[in-house]
Amino acid sequence: MNAVETALQTALEHLAPLNGQVTTPEDGRRDVTINAGDLLEGARLLLDSGWGYLTAITGLDHGESEGVLEVLVHFCAGAAVLTLRIRLARAGGELASLCVLIPAASVFEREISEMFGVTFSGSPDTRRLFLPDEWPEGVYPLLKESPAAAGEA
Amino acid sequence: MTTHPDSAATPKRFTIPIGPQHPALKEPGFFEFTVEGETVIGATLRLGYAHRGIEKAVVSRTWVQNLYLLERVCGICSHIHSLAYCLGVEKLAGVTPPPRAQAIRVLIAELERMHSHLLWLGVAAHDAGFETLFMYSWRDRETILDLFEQISGNRVNHSINTLGGVKFDLTAEQIVSVLKAVELMEERARYYLDLVRNDPMLGQRIRGIGTMSAAEAHRMGVVGPTARASGVGRDLRVEAPYAAYTAIPVVVMLETDGDLQARFIVRIREMFESCRIIRVLLDHLPEGDLQARMPRRIPEGETIARVEAPRGELFYFIKSNGADMPERIKLRTPTLCNLGSVLALCIGRQLADIPMLLIGTDPCFSCNDRAVVIHQAGNREKWTWEQFRRYGNEALR
Repeated sequence: MNAVETALQTALEHLAPLNGQVTTPEDGRRDVTINAGDLLEGARLLLDSGWGYLTAITGLDHGESEGVLEVLVHFCAGAAVLTLRIRLARAGGELASLCVLIPAASVFEREISEMFGVTFSGSPDTRRLFLPDEWPEGVYPLLKESPAAAGEA
Repeated sequence: MTTHPDSAATPKRFTIPIGPQHPALKEPGFFEFTVEGETVIGATLRLGYAHRGIEKAVVSRTWVQNLYLLERVCGICSHIHSLAYCLGVEKLAGVTPPPRAQAIRVLIAELERMHSHLLWLGVAAHDAGFETLFMYSWRDRETILDLFEQISGNRVNHSINTLGGVKFDLTAEQIVSVLKAVELMEERARYYLDLVRNDPMLGQRIRGIGTMSAAEAHRMGVVGPTARASGVGRDLRVEAPYAAYTAIPVVVMLETDGDLQARFIVRIREMFESCRIIRVLLDHLPEGDLQARMPRRIPEGETIARVEAPRGELFYFIKSNGADMPERIKLRTPTLCNLGSVLALCIGRQLADIPMLLIGTDPCFSCNDRAVVIHQAGNREKWTWEQFRRYGNEALR
């Protein structure tokens, strides 16, 4: 087993208490699908054991027909990428903010919040990060039904 | 600050807004620092003054069109964005570019790293009030931009990458130019290294300022030269090698002081390493094709591509649903990582150190915001471009 696989196995052992569903999307990666309420605990289990760092948070909309929005929280240790996947309802999804563990998570969360409409409870700063002040409330540009350009709707 | 009798019990707090337009900022961003006396107790950030919505735009463009769009995310490290994208899409398609293409990709990436570090050196010197160093480093940077022009016809968006390989080969004449430039870069880097280590005036602005410990850098997820200056050896060229880095081991430049001076030293030492990599590449440049055949539709799947941009880890998440356009592309630039971390680090520090702390991360707002700069009509240059170039370069020869 190479070093990347060993690192991923270690991460999975740390995350075992969450009973997440583990998948291997490609070499060097594991995705662990967990309950929305377990995100903060998952991050704590990884960071407290010194495994990797928070690399990015991706929002992934599955569209109106499926009614699902996924939030992918990526942790990396060297070449190993471990992703905590959380499935949320598209409207009014809520997650616990990671800022208590990682203050730098704030910018990632603000981006997901304004682009997909996910609320991060316990975040010290919930203002918009990229969108302008005059952007209409309740319009989340990275949701699929949101038009790509003015007049396209 | 006047002290009122009733303020003794509760120290007075001030909020200092900086930006979006501010002399200390090279690009638009908005920072708000809350201070108690001289000590920062709160720091927030607001971006997006030049947001283009590229992540939205990519889903209504074909895989090939996106190559051109994503290269324009950043005007400094354009090549590394297209490289991350190509690596991801090629992984989804199961295509491996020919060895010669992989070598040329890395060669351009290392040239780009050098010009980016020189650009930063100039900006940082300018902010420290060292205008001569700013002029010198930007003049030297022109050498590399000229090389890009010679190889691809373009100084900024070189468009070297294509899905499945590269578009431009290196001629014998171009190889000679690259080697000549590398020699000059090494000579200049030696000069700059001596300067940032020993210049007493610059030393006062950078030594012991904005220190970040290895533990802080690790936990915060700081990346790139900012992390390496704190002794955290994060470098994807070594940790998760891609393209020709799989064949050429890169030496990670580490400094342990974690202060601003260490961030200067790391970047300049990386220039020597870039020069070495380029020489090795040119000595062992594989022969053969430049492109592998790519399918027009990319098979269904999700992939993550991570590359070492000049500022640190660049992260691309790409999802294909089997169509001729991507389903989703998420990109996370090193600046977003580092700005978030540095803001958290500002708490408890002296206000006067903050500008240099921010500069130390080499922030690139354009990458962050995925922004476009629109030149206003009627903005006339008094000099022709050729005149500017000659003015900058002839002093060196």
